Amino acid sequence: MASNEPRYDVLSPLPRKAVQATAAAPRIPDLNGKTVAELWDVIFRGETIYPLVRQYIQARYPGVRFVGYESFGNFHGAREAEVSAQIPEKLRAHGADAAIVGIGA
Amino acid sequence: MVERLGIPTASIVGSGFLKQAEVVTRGLGVPLAIGVYPGTPMVDSEEVLRRKVEESLAPGLLQGLTGEAPAALQTAAEPAPGTIAFSGSFDEVQEQFHRNLWSDGLPIVPPTRERVDAFLAFTPRKRHDVLGIVPQEGREASILSIAINGVMAGCRPEYMPVLVAIVEAMVDPKFRIQDCGSTPGWEPLVIVNGPIVKALEFNSGQGVMRTGRQANTSVGRFVRLYLRNVCGYRIPPGAGDKGSIGQSFLVAMAEDEDSAAEAGWPTYAQDRGFAPGDNVVTVHSVVSITSPMYSAGDRAVDHVQQWAEIIGGSFTYWAHTGFKTGLWNPLIVAGPSVAKVIAAEWSKDDVRRYLYDRMRVTAERITHYARMTSTPTFSLERLVRDGILPAEYAASDDPQRELHIVIRPEMIEILVAGDPGRNQSRAYMGNHIQGPPTSRRVDLPSGWDAMRLARQT
Repeated sequence: MASNEPRYDVLSPLPRKAVQATAAAPRIPDLNGKTVAELWDVIFRGETIYPLVRQYIQARYPGVRFVGYESFGNFHGAREAEVSAQIPEKLRAHGADAAIVGIGA
Repeated sequence: MVERLGIPTASIVGSGFLKQAEVVTRGLGVPLAIGVYPGTPMVDSEEVLRRKVEESLAPGLLQGLTGEAPAALQTAAEPAPGTIAFSGSFDEVQEQFHRNLWSDGLPIVPPTRERVDAFLAFTPRKRHDVLGIVPQEGREASILSIAINGVMAGCRPEYMPVLVAIVEAMVDPKFRIQDCGSTPGWEPLVIVNGPIVKALEFNSGQGVMRTGRQANTSVGRFVRLYLRNVCGYRIPPGAGDKGSIGQSFLVAMAEDEDSAAEAGWPTYAQDRGFAPGDNVVTVHSVVSITSPMYSAGDRAVDHVQQWAEIIGGSFTYWAHTGFKTGLWNPLIVAGPSVAKVIAAEWSKDDVRRYLYDRMRVTAERITHYARMTSTPTFSLERLVRDGILPAEYAASDDPQRELHIVIRPEMIEILVAGDPGRNQSRAYMGNHIQGPPTSRRVDLPSGWDAMRLARQT
């Protein structure tokens, strides 16, 4: 028996995505002689975690250099916009070849 | 952002945040390399933390920097905005929307083209106008998306200018819509002022924050649907919304402007710089709500002293987040009868000054709260040195020194609403710099009132 119930042609609630996909930057197989920048949002025990990560990487690549998170400021705090705006220039100034960013936890 | 500069990047992510990281990654359009911290660092011993870093996190980060670059993102095809996405019976539409995570768990009003067009008729804006690009999925906050989600939420077409103003406020960078899915689980509260309160039959009196009045309820529901569908903040089985426990949507709050005027106080919108008679919406994060604040007496101090005790007792713990960011706003909803007694003696600024003076916490306690939450390195001295807190917060190194819970008196907000027949007030706590009060004037198109009245006949 056919239903008398009306049918509805409905629109999707999702608007268009506006992001342009970007490829990841080329990786660095050998970190010796390279500079790794640390960016930290000053939460979730980064003061303990970052030195351990640094130690782990340096044990495998003794020639790696780190620029500590203190050099960049808290990118997720009261001065987020200002700090974030300065990061590209600071990365260039420190000659950063790679970066570690955290902490999302 | 760093990866876009051509610098290979590896991110530290807790295992409980991997789904959110995936949503963020897609929203940014950049594949991310991730080192995983298993579990929650805030509850691990030093020894366990060290082991997790050495066995999981650090190897993952190293691989992310030196191994193969993460694969380019694949995007799934989606129906073009404004095209028919599905056809079916009422039940089939509900099922489809539930399956796609396009609803909030309640039945939605099917967003047919006719219904959506009725909403669009109430705004002079073009359907494909874009108010901003919103995280986490990097979507366009289009006028069309507002109309569709407004239909779904059960709004009436004449609410459309209100809905547009709400989204305009939420996409203001100051509001930080990118933090709507943070773990405290705060919810935007919409506050409505002006003649539209009566014209659209918002409740500003008894039961103001209950579901039951179409305008308050559907506008509040619209906000949550918009955050789910357009921003992508979805609880499991979705991802993106990391509210650890969270709270349900808040119905829109309307001010009882007649009672405010009778008491002799400016309205909330006037406090925020708008003229009397302006139609205004304000969005304001709410992370916590006090118990009902009953107060008695015929002097202002009888009531405000009670507020200081209850608000101080309820909000002191979370005030440390405001200390870290230099901002948090308590919003007091004063019952009309209470407001009248206070306003007979005190201005709103008098109330603010009294509360500011009375609500205090020791340096030791607030530091403890911050360290328990997320920030073992919390330091009042550093926050003062960085210009985030006023100098008085580091005036001495006595851990028992008392600090103002509210950083400046003007951060305290007051409006009048609720039951005029009872002596109850309540206070709502904003989530520091996430969702601070952000207002927009509601622009009603010419002929709005006539169109609205025509719909009622």
